[in-house]
Amino acid sequence: MPEPTGVIHDIGYQRYTGPRLGRRAVFGALYLHGLRTAFGLGRSAKAKIFPWLVVAIVSVVAAGITAVRSQVGETVMTYAQFADNMSWLVIFFVAVVAPELVSRDLRSGVLPLYFSRPLPRSDYPLAKLLALATALWLLLGGPQLLMFLGAAFTLGDGMRGVWNELLDLLPGLLYAGLWAVVFASVGLLVASLTGKRAFAAGGVVAVFLMTTPVVGTLSIMPSRTVNELAFLASPSTLVQGVGDWALGDLLPEGQGGILIGDFGPVYAVAAVLLVAGCVALLMLRYRKVAAR
Amino acid sequence: MSTVSWITVRGLFGRRRFLLLLPLPVVLVLLAVLSRSLGVDPGEWGPPVLVGLGLAVVLPVVALIVGTGVLGAEIDDGTVVHILTKPLPRWQIVLPKLAVAAGVTAVTVAVPLYVAGVLADSVRLGLSLAAASAVGALAYSALFVALSLLTRRPVLLGLVYVLIWEGLLGNFVSGTKVLSIQQYVISLADRMAPTGLLEAGVSVPMAAVMAALISVGFTVLAIDRLRSFSVAGETS
Repeated sequence: MPEPTGVIHDIGYQRYTGPRLGRRAVFGALYLHGLRTAFGLGRSAKAKIFPWLVVAIVSVVAAGITAVRSQVGETVMTYAQFADNMSWLVIFFVAVVAPELVSRDLRSGVLPLYFSRPLPRSDYPLAKLLALATALWLLLGGPQLLMFLGAAFTLGDGMRGVWNELLDLLPGLLYAGLWAVVFASVGLLVASLTGKRAFAAGGVVAVFLMTTPVVGTLSIMPSRTVNELAFLASPSTLVQGVGDWALGDLLPEGQGGILIGDFGPVYAVAAVLLVAGCVALLMLRYRKVAAR
Repeated sequence: MSTVSWITVRGLFGRRRFLLLLPLPVVLVLLAVLSRSLGVDPGEWGPPVLVGLGLAVVLPVVALIVGTGVLGAEIDDGTVVHILTKPLPRWQIVLPKLAVAAGVTAVTVAVPLYVAGVLADSVRLGLSLAAASAVGALAYSALFVALSLLTRRPVLLGLVYVLIWEGLLGNFVSGTKVLSIQQYVISLADRMAPTGLLEAGVSVPMAAVMAALISVGFTVLAIDRLRSFSVAGETS
């Protein structure tokens, strides 16, 4: 019997001994990646076209408003009104970004890889939601900051004028945050239902657009209470109703003004309930996800 | 019914996805019934329901989902190769698919619009709305089918057209109405049943000619693009 000649070589398999990052790092990475995805950063030029088209349009509008205000001295729209007037672009932006954030992962079947990390089920949708909301807030808040800077440098009222502008800007930014949270939660919920980006985008737009004429119809019903509660039916008018109640004079009624009567608190509660409901449904959606 | 159209119909209705198409028409009919039963003046509820919801949202959105679904979904899946490798002239692929898209859109939109039109004014208004929306369905479908061959992101480009061109610019810049299918539909419906409910933005001959031009032109373009179509992977 010959001697055994086989040798087991030590080819250097090693255990990982470095620091193990926990839940917070995973959440942070998902959030940052989501935010970059929203604007197509780190992706091909094709992925940047649509987000930056929207950014370009809102920036041009803000620059135009600033120019008119500094040259003519006429305030075309306040900071809070800016968000209202950009609602169509916000809808389009959500339709572009929300499917990118969630539908691609569903379609390519990578969710089992995510959930095999130390990542609780709820963290994945929350990170995506936070990323989308941040992106929307940047989309609305950035131009407002541009308007503020333009006004601060051209009005020439000294520090007092700048301070007054700042007091106008801050509620505007808060209001933009409300827009961002409401639209992000509704849009992400719709987009997470399908893995096809095309259908997700269509669905998001359908949900937001379909509800606006409902408001238009309800607000001409022969009942004052129904009229004043009509704006609950659509996310964008719901947000405007809350803004009208909370900000008051910063959203001057007049052109297309929203008459909500004494139902302001109802609108605030409805907005909170809408966001909470959407987030809860989103959690439920990701309790059990098919691998493919 | 050719095999291609049969495959297309099964692709559209074979999944639960097509249920997504139902809520839009249902809401339209519900609002019309609600307004009618509460006795609101049709002059007040007609424009927001018929134009604001029906012609400005339901028609383009349904046409967008269906029109990009008949060909775009197969391109996304890569299954379009199976059809392209068959010895079929390209027009025999595009035309049945376009017919299915336009037919499904027309039925989905025309029926609720007919009901809403009857409730708002008369059977004549209902019929004219249904006919005009069928014309609009054909034009929109041709546009969106061609878009799904021209670009890898047909839905988003279609949304740019519907939301920004027709929706946002149409309100501020009247010149864009000349190139807006929505305005053609309104003009045609208004011509067939003159009521105070619809407000035509372009002249009727112009609307008819442009709708026909768009339908034929984009169909020819789609056939031409499919001749030299290269199948690529998913966009990043």
